[in-house]
Amino acid sequence: MEKHFLADMMEGEGRSEFRAEPWYNPYGDCIDYKMADEAVVAERVDELLTVYNSAVDNRPIGFQIKGVQAIIRKLGLDGLAFASQAKAGAVKSISIAALLLAAYEEREPTLARRRAYAAAMEPAEKRSIPADQLQPA
Amino acid sequence: MTADYVCKTIDPNNPAGPPVDAIFPGHLTLRYWKYSPVDFENLRAANYVLENPKRIFFGVRAYNQGGWCYTGRPAQWYIKEGALVPFPKERVFAVYLNPNMHVYQCRAEYADPVDPLCPVNWQDRYRGLTWKSTS
Repeated sequence: MEKHFLADMMEGEGRSEFRAEPWYNPYGDCIDYKMADEAVVAERVDELLTVYNSAVDNRPIGFQIKGVQAIIRKLGLDGLAFASQAKAGAVKSISIAALLLAAYEEREPTLARRRAYAAAMEPAEKRSIPADQLQPA
Repeated sequence: MTADYVCKTIDPNNPAGPPVDAIFPGHLTLRYWKYSPVDFENLRAANYVLENPKRIFFGVRAYNQGGWCYTGRPAQWYIKEGALVPFPKERVFAVYLNPNMHVYQCRAEYADPVDPLCPVNWQDRYRGLTWKSTS
């Protein structure tokens, strides 16, 4: 395989293990979560949720929540705060499950949507994301 | 901080005009490099699609203004670390850019059965097709 076109730019940058955690992508205003270091085939559920299926064996391995700022504008960070932080003043992290629920409530409930959102909630080993990372680019 | 990488692609606002810059943000490429090796390898496919697009869609996000989706078919892609395989026929590779032409997502999509260079249900997902390759 020929040299990666970004190889020179990564020179000197350390590399670590694959990280299975949700992260906010400021360029797309979305939260991405992948449980496995595999390519994905995207399956759009609705305007706010896309499920990632493994390109290896088609099992669901993650999801993308879109329109994060719109959800925050609607519910506020307090409405999405993780666990007991809502009472503690400044919101330090928001709950991925709360975001998924908020997205689910935006549209008519259907069996297909319910199944997709439930599946997205199940693998969330890491269930929160630091609030200060939610800055769009 | 890793620098942005710039490649040339078709101007979605003026496809017949000169090419424009598409930007792979350093923040994104560094994250893939550090924590998501397969995604990093598949940036090759994204770069190929931007340089050889077959379809360009506009209005790709319901809750954010603007944005584009470029689609195409790389010859190969990585499905897991060390596994470089032919890109499957019933998929299409999609690269999403925000209105500032920053790449924010690249991945395979299920292909439309009528036009396999489009993602399935593209008529419901995007506001429209802005450009189509004739080759």
